This record gives sequence, C-alpha cells and structure tokens, in this order.
Amino acid sequence: MLPSIYMSTIVLQSVVGGLATGCVYALVSLSLVIIYKSSDMLNFGGGELVMIGGYLALFAAVYLGLGYGFIFPFVIGAGFGVGALFDRITLHRIRGRSYAANSAHVPMIVATLGLSFLLKGAVRAVPYTEEPRRLDPLWRGDPLFIGNIVLQWQDVAIMFVTAGVMLGLLWFFRFTMIGKGLRAISQSPRAAALVGMPVILLRMAAWGLSASIAGIAGVLLAPKLLMTPDMGAIVMMAFAAAVVGGITSLPGCVVGGMIIGVLQNLVGVLISPQAIAVTPFFVIMIVLLLRPQGLFGDSLPSKRV
Amino acid sequence: MFGMPPLRQFIPISILIVLGFVLPFLLPQYFLYCGNLLMMYAVLALGFDILLGWSGQFAFAHVAFFGIGIYGTALLQIRLGVPFIIGMPIAAAAAGVIGFLIGLPATRLRTIHLALATFAFAECVQWIFRTWGSLTGGADGVRITPPQIFGYAVGTDGQAFPVVALILALVIVSVVFFSRSKFARSLGAIRESEHVAAASGINVPLVKVLAFAVSAVYAGVAGGMYTLFQSFVNPDALDATLLVLLLSILVVGGSGSIPGIAIGVLLMGVLPEVLRLAPRSLLVWQEFIYGLIIILSIMFMPEGIWGIVRARMQRKISVAAKRDVAQGGRMAEREVLR
Repeated sequence: MLPSIYMSTIVLQSVVGGLATGCVYALVSLSLVIIYKSSDMLNFGGGELVMIGGYLALFAAVYLGLGYGFIFPFVIGAGFGVGALFDRITLHRIRGRSYAANSAHVPMIVATLGLSFLLKGAVRAVPYTEEPRRLDPLWRGDPLFIGNIVLQWQDVAIMFVTAGVMLGLLWFFRFTMIGKGLRAISQSPRAAALVGMPVILLRMAAWGLSASIAGIAGVLLAPKLLMTPDMGAIVMMAFAAAVVGGITSLPGCVVGGMIIGVLQNLVGVLISPQAIAVTPFFVIMIVLLLRPQGLFGDSLPSKRV
Repeated sequence: MFGMPPLRQFIPISILIVLGFVLPFLLPQYFLYCGNLLMMYAVLALGFDILLGWSGQFAFAHVAFFGIGIYGTALLQIRLGVPFIIGMPIAAAAAGVIGFLIGLPATRLRTIHLALATFAFAECVQWIFRTWGSLTGGADGVRITPPQIFGYAVGTDGQAFPVVALILALVIVSVVFFSRSKFARSLGAIRESEHVAAASGINVPLVKVLAFAVSAVYAGVAGGMYTLFQSFVNPDALDATLLVLLLSILVVGGSGSIPGIAIGVLLMGVLPEVLRLAPRSLLVWQEFIYGLIIILSIMFMPEGIWGIVRARMQRKISVAAKRDVAQGGRMAEREVLR
C-alpha cells in the first residue's frame, strides 16, 4: 500500500487530468444537446463529427501549413457546412413524414448512424489515415507544476477554449436573434413557424453549430490522443455527460462532462483500469433508471395521446 | 386476422425446409456458411422487429440477448456437457428472463431515454463477457465444440445448414402465429398511442415487458444458431456494428412484416460478402458505401423496399377495382381481395 501522501497526490492528479478530458466531453455533449433540443433526437454520428474535425485540422496543418489561428476558423466553417447540409438534405426529408407517435425517432437516428459510417468510411478511404497521427500541441512549453501536480499546457489550453466556447454560446443563446430563434424552435416549432421564423433555416443552423462545436472538440483532442478513424467512440462519454446533466441543459453538459472525466480517471486509479471502458455505460444506466431527468434537466415530457 | 393462418402462408416455409435439406448437396461450403449466417440474421431481425416495428419501443439491447444466447449455449455445452437440444432452450429462456427483468425498469423510460439505457445495458453485457475471463475466456473468446443433435454431429456448414433452416422455419411459423394473436394487436395499439391502448383495457406496462421478454427469447435462439456453424465466439462479435446491421435490415427491407425482413436480410447480409469480392480499390470504400445505402434508403424508401412493393400491389388492385366500377362490375368482390 502506498503512503497516503502519494495516494492523495495520485488522486488529485487524476482529478485535474479528468477535468481537462471532461472539458472535451463537455464540448461534445454540448453538440449533442443542441441537436437534441432542436430536433428532439440523438446524434449517434456525433463522435464522427469530432473525428473529421480532428482530421480536417491535421490536413490543414500538414498540407496547407496553417497555424492554429487559421485551423480553428477552417474547422468551424467546414463542420458547419457538413452539419447544415446533412440536416437539409437528409433529416429534412424524414421530418416531413408522419409516423406513429413512438416510432418517429427511429428513421432519424438510423440516418445519423448512416452518417457515422459515411464519415468514418470517407476518412478511412484516404490513404494518409492508415497509421495513427498526432497534431502539434496548441500551447507548447514545459509542464506546469502546482505543488506535486503536473499540468500539461495542452490541458490548460483545452480548459480556456472550452470556457470560451461556453461563454460564446451563453451570449449566442441569450442575446442574438438566431440564438433566440433556436430556443424558440426547441420549445415549439409550430409556434415558431406561426410567428414567422424560418424553422428550416434555424434547424440547419442548429446542426451546423453542433457540428462546429464537435469539430472544435476534435481539434483540441487531436494533440492529446492518437488519431484513428475510430476515435468517434468518444461519443459515448459525451452521451453519459449529457445524461448526467439531464440531456436538455447546456450548463448540465459542462458539469456532466467534468463529472464523467473525473470519475473515469478515479475509477481507473481506485478500482481497476479495465473498468474505465464500462464507466460511461454504467453511469447512463444508473442515472436513467434512478433520476431520468439528470442533474439539471427538465422533468420528462408527459405522455402525449 | 385472428385464428389459424391461411394454408398458403405455409408454402414458403415448407420450401425453406426442403431447401434446407437439398442445398447442402448442391452448394459449396462457403455459400452454405453465408446461408447459415443470413438465416441467423433473419431470426435476430424478426425478434428485433417485435420491439421496434410492432410495439414501437426503441430498445437497443437486442445484441446483449444474442450474446447471452451464444455464451449460454456454448458454455453449457463445454463446461457442463449439456447437449445443444437442451442447452439452447435453456439459454433462450435465460435470455427471456433477463429480458423480462430488464424490461421492468426500462419500460418506464421512453424513446431517446429508452434507447440510451438499453444501449448502455448492451455495452455493459459485452464488457462482462470480455472481463469475466474465468467463465467466458475473456477477450480471447471461447472455442465452440461441434454440437451433437440426437447423434447427428454438426461439424461442417453443410451439416449445420438443415438444422439452421429448420430452426428458422419454426421461428417464422411462430411469428406468423404471433402476428395473428391478441398480443400482437396490443403491441400495435401501444405503438400508435399508449393512452388509447390503456383506455381500451390493455395492460400497457405488462404487455411492454412481455414484448421485451419475447424479443429476447428470439435473440437467444439466434445465439443458439450461432453455435451451430461458428467454431469460435469472442466479445467483438457483439459490438454495435451488429446493432447497426439489424437496424439497416429493418430500414432497407421494411419493418413490421416478414417479407420485408427477408428482403432486408438478403440485401444487407449479402452486401459485405459482395463488397469483399470487389477489387481492392473499392474495398476501402466499404464502410462509406454501407453508410450511403442506409442514408439513401431512409431518404427515399420510408417503408423499405417491401413498402414500395406493397404499395404497387395495392395500387394495381385499386386500379382494377376502379375499372370494374366503371364497367359496372361489382366492387365488393374486389374490396374483399384487398
């Protein structure tokens, strides 16, 4: 048994590391929740949007020689295009049909699964992606020491960017016309259409915004992980974060992401490294069964006849 | 729609049984292996459809019950020496019981929440198979010994083929009877509206949980079929790819009907094998093509291929009926046909 001073350092270290990964989970789950609120569905292709964000950043850095100052706008723009086009071309067709009350989500979710295969396959078909790659860190420098705890500058950068995105979203949803429109269509698309809002365009904007945020998460993750076309599996962490936060709440995502990130590291240190893989699923099951509305979510929608 | 189904519905089933005994003498082993695989997918998809298509419950745990069927049958045989003919029903029943127990809390959830919770359950089960090494062999998997059925050794794909076909035929018969039962109608009512179903005297929670259990039993049977023609199982066989395959079978073929599922199984099950024969340059695009097919078929065929076929057949009948009216024929007779 290690002396308790080492143990507490290890625990503190894993908490700090967990907060950094938690920020990435928070970003991905923000992108999922924005889609849930605008389209009332889950995006199982969310992880692949993260992945193409990372690979677009890589291509931009390697082939175009861009710095991070240009990579971020490039990825945000490209992600916005992919998301908005997918919504307009595919989901818009599906939404217009009438289904039985309970099964309306099936085709949309299957469509996002199709999107996930499409993106994964497209990236895999590029010969450059055959071996795992890594992007240069966003912020170089010797690791930062706080007491006994080591902090990578990349993690600091991740936290700053996440905070920036959060504040930006807060401003966007509070004070801009498009953000208010998105809130309106998430409450009632029909009423929003009645007062003259362009619901179709707003939904495209929601998907574009969501894909952009996922892309940012991909850029942040690319220097931390080895990139493979399968890195979209991170979406399960984001689902767990969203469920903990209550699926409908944006601040809930951030808190949920932190909780999942820290919990995952603590499970790895205190229980067993094997159990890390199952943590998000276990959390999803427990939270949904005991408290389906999560920490900050609205109470579940009542049954409609 | 109740009661004994018309006899002509049994013609394709008896053809299936006959083919099951004749084809092993005609086809090479590789084709028989593919045939076994497709028939297993068909049983999986039929069970999945009970939850997704018939009752509109968005449950993603099917792969977990499939795994319980595989590991249950295989481990009973390897560790305890229970023969297949007893082991498979036990494993299927175990899957059904676990499905029932999972259904109790899960049916309180709806739509997205149900999908997430059941998906998480399936991943947890896969993790247990991977981690509980002393029982399941862990990530390395288990070697399945060839089963014996009444002294008939099932060693090769050709020997397994008639047995697999027979099980599929029995499953289809059970689905035909199921589709004409009061239970199936209750499921349809719940799919359309739980309130109306409850108001017409259907015990909604009980019927939902039973649907979970029945669907899990079908998955367990499919798991038993797996042990007949595969010599090896590891947890990677139970990942989300299989779930996506099942969903795409229902979407491309058309859910809620046996012919639709047959079409879906044939197309989506054969697709990977066809793509494997394709030149190397095309092989890289396999995943891309798969995703494209899923998206396009959802966009342009809301009720799958069978939906299009059925709509065309009905249009033909109604055109004929209109012509009869114009000629002064009796429409009532045509209406009966419809």
